[in-house]
Amino acid sequence: MRTSRTLGLFMIAPASIMIFLFFLMPVVLTAIFAMTNMSTATGISGGAWQVTQAAVNRLKTDLPELADGIAEPRFIIDEEGLKELETLKLKPGFAAELRAEHMGEVYPSRREAERVIKALKDRPSTREVKQISDLFNRSVLNTRFETRDELMANLKKLGFDLTPQQQDIVARATYTGWIWTTDNFRIISSSPDMAQIFFNTAFYVSVTLLLFNVGYALFLALTTHYMQASTASVFRAIWLLPRITPVVIYVLLWKWLTWDSGFISTFMSQFGYPPKNYLLDTAYNAWFFVILINGFIGASMGMLVFSSAIKAIPQTQFHASEVDGASRLQQIRYIILPQLRWPILFVTCYQTLSLLASFNEILLSTRGGPGKATEVWSLAAFHTALNNYTGNLEYGLGAAMALVLVVVGIILSLIYLRIFRYDTLISKPLIED
Amino acid sequence: MAEKPQPSANFSSLPVILLLTLFSLPLVLMYAYLFIDTISETPVGSLIPNEFTLRHWSFLWQTKTGKPNIWLVTLNTFIFASCITAVILTVASMAGYVLSRLNVPARGFFLAGVMVLHAFPSVTLIIAIFIVLQYIGLYNSLIGVILVKAAIDLPLGIWLMKGFYDTVPWEIEMAGIVDGASRFTVWRRLVLPQIKPAVMALGLFSFLTGWSEFILPQVLAPGAQVQVLSVYLASLIIDDNNFDFGTFKAVGVFYVVPVLILYVFFQKHLMNIYGGGTKG
Amino acid sequence: MTVLPILKSAALAAVLLASTAVFASAKDVTISVWSGGSGPNDNYRTDAFDIAADILEREAAIRGEQLNIIVQKTPYSGWEDFKQALTLAAEAKKAPNIVATGHEDIGPWAQAGLIVPVENYIDLDSWPIGDIYPNLMEITSFNGAVYGIPQDAESRPMFFWKPYMKAIGYTDSDIEALPGKIEKGEYTLKNVLEDARKMQDKGLVQAGYGFYPRNSNGPDYWQFYTSFGGVMEEEGKLVFDKAAMKRTYQYFADLVKAGVTKKNHIGMPGDQWWKEVATGKAGIWHGGTWHYARLVNQEGLKDFFANVQFTLIPAGEGGKANTLTHPLAYLLMAGHTEEETQIAADLIKIASEPRINALHAIKSAHLGISPSETKVDLYAGNRWASEATERLLPHANAMPNNAEFGKYWTIMWKNLEATWTGAKTADAAVNDAETELKSTLGNSIIIR
Repeated sequence: MRTSRTLGLFMIAPASIMIFLFFLMPVVLTAIFAMTNMSTATGISGGAWQVTQAAVNRLKTDLPELADGIAEPRFIIDEEGLKELETLKLKPGFAAELRAEHMGEVYPSRREAERVIKALKDRPSTREVKQISDLFNRSVLNTRFETRDELMANLKKLGFDLTPQQQDIVARATYTGWIWTTDNFRIISSSPDMAQIFFNTAFYVSVTLLLFNVGYALFLALTTHYMQASTASVFRAIWLLPRITPVVIYVLLWKWLTWDSGFISTFMSQFGYPPKNYLLDTAYNAWFFVILINGFIGASMGMLVFSSAIKAIPQTQFHASEVDGASRLQQIRYIILPQLRWPILFVTCYQTLSLLASFNEILLSTRGGPGKATEVWSLAAFHTALNNYTGNLEYGLGAAMALVLVVVGIILSLIYLRIFRYDTLISKPLIED
Repeated sequence: MAEKPQPSANFSSLPVILLLTLFSLPLVLMYAYLFIDTISETPVGSLIPNEFTLRHWSFLWQTKTGKPNIWLVTLNTFIFASCITAVILTVASMAGYVLSRLNVPARGFFLAGVMVLHAFPSVTLIIAIFIVLQYIGLYNSLIGVILVKAAIDLPLGIWLMKGFYDTVPWEIEMAGIVDGASRFTVWRRLVLPQIKPAVMALGLFSFLTGWSEFILPQVLAPGAQVQVLSVYLASLIIDDNNFDFGTFKAVGVFYVVPVLILYVFFQKHLMNIYGGGTKG
Repeated sequence: MTVLPILKSAALAAVLLASTAVFASAKDVTISVWSGGSGPNDNYRTDAFDIAADILEREAAIRGEQLNIIVQKTPYSGWEDFKQALTLAAEAKKAPNIVATGHEDIGPWAQAGLIVPVENYIDLDSWPIGDIYPNLMEITSFNGAVYGIPQDAESRPMFFWKPYMKAIGYTDSDIEALPGKIEKGEYTLKNVLEDARKMQDKGLVQAGYGFYPRNSNGPDYWQFYTSFGGVMEEEGKLVFDKAAMKRTYQYFADLVKAGVTKKNHIGMPGDQWWKEVATGKAGIWHGGTWHYARLVNQEGLKDFFANVQFTLIPAGEGGKANTLTHPLAYLLMAGHTEEETQIAADLIKIASEPRINALHAIKSAHLGISPSETKVDLYAGNRWASEATERLLPHANAMPNNAEFGKYWTIMWKNLEATWTGAKTADAAVNDAETELKSTLGNSIIIR
C-alpha cells in the first residue's frame, strides 16, 4: 500500500508543481489583480509616497492649509544641512564656502540652488551636486518617499503635525502605487464599448462554431465517408493543414489572399475592379475572413472526431438501409446523425472554449479592426492589459476581463465534465501494494 | 493495400468530390503560391510568375538590420520545441500512469482538474503568468517560456497518456510484481514500452505545438537573443517599412517545412491526437 | 525511448549555452539601448551610441582610465510591442539602461519608478544640454524634474498633392500662399473637406481618398482637437473640452458622410497607406516631418517639392492653426548601478551633441533639438529641415506629461474611432467619453 502511494505522489509531483505554478497561481493572481487599479503608472510591485502637483491638487479640498503649505519647493542653506554635509566626507571646501558665502539664502527651485552649489570653487560633480542639494531641501514637493512614515516624519519636520485621520488623507493623495477597487467590474458592466465587445464575441463564437467547427466539419466527415479511402485521406490531409501550420504563416497566407496587392485583388483586377484590401475594406469583409480563418482551423477537429464516430457505426446498418432503398440523405438523417449526438456535443463544448480563448488569428490578421469591428473579448483583454499604442497597460482592468473568461471557462468545463461523466473513467487499481 | 469495401458503394461519389475540391481550392492555392512565390518574381497585376530568383531567400545568409540571426532563431525554436516535448513527455507519462493505475489520494479530484484545465482558456492568464515568471526570475528566458508552454499543454498530455495506459492489460504489471520488481521498475521497463505509439504521437504533437507557438514567446520572451521563428516572422510582417510577401513567404517556407515533413511521415499519429484524443 | 533522454540532455545543454551571458572582463560595461518607432531611417536613435561610446572611451583613455563600452542596440519598428516589452522588462528588473521613447511615457513611468531623472546625472547647464530649446526641455520634465533629454523634434503638417490642387482651380501662386493663409486662419478644415470633395467630384482621386488621414491612432488627432479650440492640460490638470471634442468628432463623421474619407480607414495596413500617399492616390493628408524621409527614400517619391505642399493643420471652428511636436526623449531606466547609469548618462550627453544629433535629424527628416544644430552643414544645407523648421516649429504644441494622460488618450481615441465608423453619433461619443473619463479619472480631469 505504502509503496504505491509514495511512488504515485512522487510521480505526480512534477505535474502538480507545474499546474500549481502556471494554472492555479495565475488564476488566483488574476482574481487579485482584477480587484485593483494596477496599470503602468502604478506599477505592479507597489508604490512610493510623493507630493506631486497632482497630489497637492487632490489635497486642496480636504486639507487646504496643508496643500498651500507644501505647494512650493524651497531650498535653504542652513546650519542643519551644513552639519549633515560635513558628515558626508566630501571635500571640506563645499561646506566651508557655503557657510561663508550663502548662509541663510532661500531658493524657490532646485535648479537655482544647484546653480549655486555647482559654482563652488571645488567643483562638485553632478552626483555630488544632487547629494548636497538634497541636504538643503526644505520642502516635500516632488520628493519620493519609500515609506509612508518617512513622508509623515518629513511633514512633521516642516511643522505639519497631522492627526491619524489627516495622515490617511495625505497618504491616499500621495500614494503612487495601486489600490484595491471594484471599479473594473463597474466599467465592464456599464461601458457601452464592453457591451459591443461582448456582442462581437458572442457573434464570432456562435457563427464560427455553427458554420465551421460543427457544420462544415460534419460536412467534411460525411462527404469523405462516402469516398474511396484514398481520396478521402487526401481531403482530410488538406483540411488538417490549417491546424498544423504555425499560426503566423497561416495568417500570412490569408493576408496574401486578401491584401490590396494579393491574390483576390489581382484576380478581380482582370475584370476591371480596382485593387482593394479585401480583409479590412469593411467590417463585413473583416468578419467574413475572420470567421473563415478560424473556421478552417476549427473544422479539422470536428472532421476527425465525426469521421471516427461514423467509422464506428456498424457497416451492416448501411447495407441494410441500402437494401431497403434508402438514399444517402436518408442514411445521414436516420443512421449517422442520431449516432453523432455525443460527438457533436463534445466538439461544441470543447470548441466553444477554444474559440473564446483564441485571439492569435484575429490579432495577426485584423488586430481587431477595421475600427474595433472584430475586437473580441480575449483580444480586448490582451490589448487592455498588454498591447496598446499609448503604452498605458491596464493590468487591473485586463485581469478583470480575463477573469470573466476564466469564470465562463470553469462553468463550461464543469458542464462538460457532467456530460462526459468523468467518474466512470476512474477504475480502481487492481494491484493493492 | 487492399481497398476496403465502402458503404453505399452503389452511389457515385463524383459530385461530392467535385464539391469538396471546390471548397478546398482556396487552401490549395494558398499553399501552392506559398512555395511558388519564394523562388519567383511576379509582375505587378499578374498571377503568373515570369522569373526565377533566390532573392527572397537572402535572409539565410544576410542578417537583416535590427533582426537577430536566422540560424540563432532557428536553433532557439528547435531547443524550445524539443524541450517542451521532453518536459511534456516526462511529466505527462508519469502523471498519466498515476492517474490510470496508482492509488493516490484525491485521484478523482486530480483527474477532474486535469479535464477542466484541458479545455481551459489558459492564454487569458498571460498577465498573471508573467508575474509568476518574474518572481521565479525566468521572464525573457527560453526556459521560462518552455515551462509555461509545457504546463499549458500538460493537461491534454496527461489526459491522453491516462487513456493509453488504461488500454494496457493489468496482467503485464501483475507478472512484473510477481517477479519481484518494484512498481517503478514495472512502469519503466514493462508498461512504458507498451505505449510507445502513444509516446510517439504525444511527442510529435508537443513538438509541433511548440514549434508553432506565437503569443507566449512574443509576450514572455521578447528579447532578440531568445526569439523564436514565429516571433521573428511576425516582426518582419508587422514592420510596414519592408513589406515584401516574397521574403515573408520564404521565411514562412523555411519555418513550415519541418512541420510538413513531420506531418507527411507521421500523419496517422497526428490524426489520432488532433481528433480530440480521448481514446487510446 | 532511448532517443528521448539524449535529446533531452542535449537540449538542456544547448539552453544553458544559449542563455549564458557573454563573459565580461572587469572593465567592460554593457549599455543597452532600446528605441521605439524606429524604421530604417531612424537607425541613429541607437547608432548614435556607437559614436558616443567611441568618444567616451577615447576620453577615458586620455584620462588614463581603461573603459570598454559594449553598446547593445534594440530598435523596435512599432510602438505596441515595444512598450509592452519595455514595461514588462522594467517590472521584471531587466530594463535596458537607456530608452528612446515618446515623451508622454515620462509621466506614468516616473510615477511607477521605472525611470530616474536624467538631471541627477547630467548637469543641465552644461553644453550641449544647456543649448537645447527650452520648450523641448520643458516637454521632457515631470513633477519638477527633468527626466529625459530630447532626442528629436518634429512637427506634423497637412500635406496637399499639388497637381490636384491645380486641377481644382488653384494657381501656383495660390498654392505658394496657402501656408500663410492657413496660418492666418483664412483656409480652415472646412475648406479641406470642400477641396477634398472637389478632387473626388472631378475624378482625380477615388472615393474615400480626398482626405486621407493617418491610418492608426497617433498624437496627430490631438491636433484636430486643438484646431477646434480644445486644450489638453491646464496647470497640471487634464482638460476635456466637450464642445471642442464634439466638433472634432463631428468633423470626422462629416468627412465620412461626405465620402472623402473612408469609413473603415482606421486599421488599414501601413504599407498600403504609404504606397498610396507616395503615388498621388490621395488628395490631402496629414503626417509628420519624417514622412519626407520615408516618401523620398523608400516610397520612391523623387520630386517631393514639385508634388507636395505642406502647411500647419488648418484651424477649425473655435480654434487656430497649429501643429504638434512629439519629441522622443532619451530616458534613463531605473534598476542599474550608479556607475552604469552615469556612463549611460554621459553617452546620452555626447549623443546629443549637434553634429551627432544632426545625423538622425537629417536622415529621418526630424527637426533639430538645438539652435547650434541648425548650423551644422548637413542640417543647414537641407531644404526640408530648414523650411519645415521655419514654417511649423514656432506653432508647435505638445501633449502633456501627465501620468493619467494615457487613459484620457485611450478614451478619446476609442470614441473618435466609434464616431468615425458610425458606431456612435458625435453627441453620444462625447457623452460616453465624459462618463468614462469621470469614472476613471475623477478629480484629475476638468470637464467643461
